[in-house]
Amino acid sequence: MTDIQLSVHASEVVTLLGPNGAGKSTILKMLSGEIAPQQGSVSIFGAAHGREARRRIGLVLQEPSTDDLMTLRETLQLHGRLFGLSRGRLNQRCAEMLGSLGLEERADDRCETLSGGLRRRLDIARALLHEPDLLLLDEPTLALDPDSSATIWDTLHDRVSDGAAVVVCSNDTVEAEAHADRVVIVDDGRIVAEDTPANLTAGLLHDALELDWPESAERDVEEIERWEGVGAVVATAEQLFLTVENAAEVVPLLFQRFGSQISGIRIRESSLRDAWFRIVGRPLVDSQGGKE
Amino acid sequence: MIDAASASLALLARDLRAVARSRSQLYSSLLFPLMLLALLGTGVSSGLSPTSPRILDGDYTSYLAPGMIAMTALFSSTFSSAGFYRDRESGLLRAMLASPHHAQTILFGKALGSILIGTVQALAVLVLAVLIPGIDLAWQFGWLGGVATVIATILALNFMLSGLSLLLALKIKTMQGFHLIMNLVLFPLFFLSGAFFPLDLVPTWLEVIGYINPLTYAVDLLHYASYADSPDGLIGPLIDGLVLGGLAVLLFAVGLRRSPRAV
Repeated sequence: MTDIQLSVHASEVVTLLGPNGAGKSTILKMLSGEIAPQQGSVSIFGAAHGREARRRIGLVLQEPSTDDLMTLRETLQLHGRLFGLSRGRLNQRCAEMLGSLGLEERADDRCETLSGGLRRRLDIARALLHEPDLLLLDEPTLALDPDSSATIWDTLHDRVSDGAAVVVCSNDTVEAEAHADRVVIVDDGRIVAEDTPANLTAGLLHDALELDWPESAERDVEEIERWEGVGAVVATAEQLFLTVENAAEVVPLLFQRFGSQISGIRIRESSLRDAWFRIVGRPLVDSQGGKE
Repeated sequence: MIDAASASLALLARDLRAVARSRSQLYSSLLFPLMLLALLGTGVSSGLSPTSPRILDGDYTSYLAPGMIAMTALFSSTFSSAGFYRDRESGLLRAMLASPHHAQTILFGKALGSILIGTVQALAVLVLAVLIPGIDLAWQFGWLGGVATVIATILALNFMLSGLSLLLALKIKTMQGFHLIMNLVLFPLFFLSGAFFPLDLVPTWLEVIGYINPLTYAVDLLHYASYADSPDGLIGPLIDGLVLGGLAVLLFAVGLRRSPRAV
């Protein structure tokens, strides 16, 4: 990691957006105190990292981290005792968390019986149990069904409205655009851009085109960039990405001029992932190894 | 301080519950030593008629009993320590280390579980050994002092093993590697501890290794407290206690101190 300068404020959702290996989880580990930076410092709630900071942090790891032999309630109770919650408060918070994440009916089942989505909800319940002021979440909704994702985000936004800050690692641009107040683009161990999703996408034209065009020539790209209603064009070995004012006008022109070289096309409304193309110069690869 | 004690106790309770729910582990840790007592003890007593003065009246089953108590402590403590790996692989250990407590508090709580489980299971084998007709324990200094010495020995042995397990677990990243090393280290040490045969029967070079072996002092103390009818031929409680207690304190303290926050 190099030249990382990042501050997170109360009631703010910050998404660290980047491909696997970009350094997002390393930033999260520094924030949680698991590792210390080799140079520079991390300040949590205005002080150096330590026991008091950890008391105010809720952590969700990339993989569900539950004990198969424990029940959901026991998992939360163990966590609550580690965070020093009194018996009465612990019982109250367990009930609240199990309720808000839709887990109350499974409270006394062992974790080994849970699906991936329910395990993830339990991770979130555990991280929120002690009412942390800073939530650190490593891809909390990865591979989850839409219902589980929505439940998790509803619960997180409730906590944010109470003043908590949330830092999420993700390579999901749709989720980042929907939920983040600020997106920090992390690539190759550096922060390459950070802004609100609206500002990051502000320069983009309305439609986005994704063309399968192996080994497009530089002069062809330059020609397309000169067309009216075409924004920045990003070329990779196999594809061409561009945003345009109106796809209905540009697509016929493209096929008229370069039809024999284009083997496929996808058209959609432009989004944060096009901002990623523009800033980083290549597509964002998701955790399954495919392009998002 | 109260906070840390409460956290350690919560972890202890969780590990005890996990063992209670792993019935196969619970039963096998009790049945294996009893099976050895019944089969090996009877077979050697009847088939080989051992004549060492350390094996009273040629009754090998009774001679074997203290060694089986040590073995139970050894294996159940090792099995419990493997829980460290399960928690590390599942990410639960990371989640627990993210709590406000020192890493040592978390690991102490986990070690307490393996110590208590190892001790209780070893004592269960002692109780069963006492109840089995034909096993003759002399309790040369009375059963009260004898049982107290056995409990202290087993506790010290488990503290030592927990410290060793923690040290190994921090160096060896997979559970398979941990079991391999533990088996490579523990089996030879156990065979040369006097648990299966008196060390005065083996060649000198093996006897020397036996006296370097820390388990020898645990088995000797168990023999001294429960089985032997006189102190003759035994190392004795003073040296046994110093070696075992010293190693228990040293290994457990070093094991905890070497534990980093990030695992």
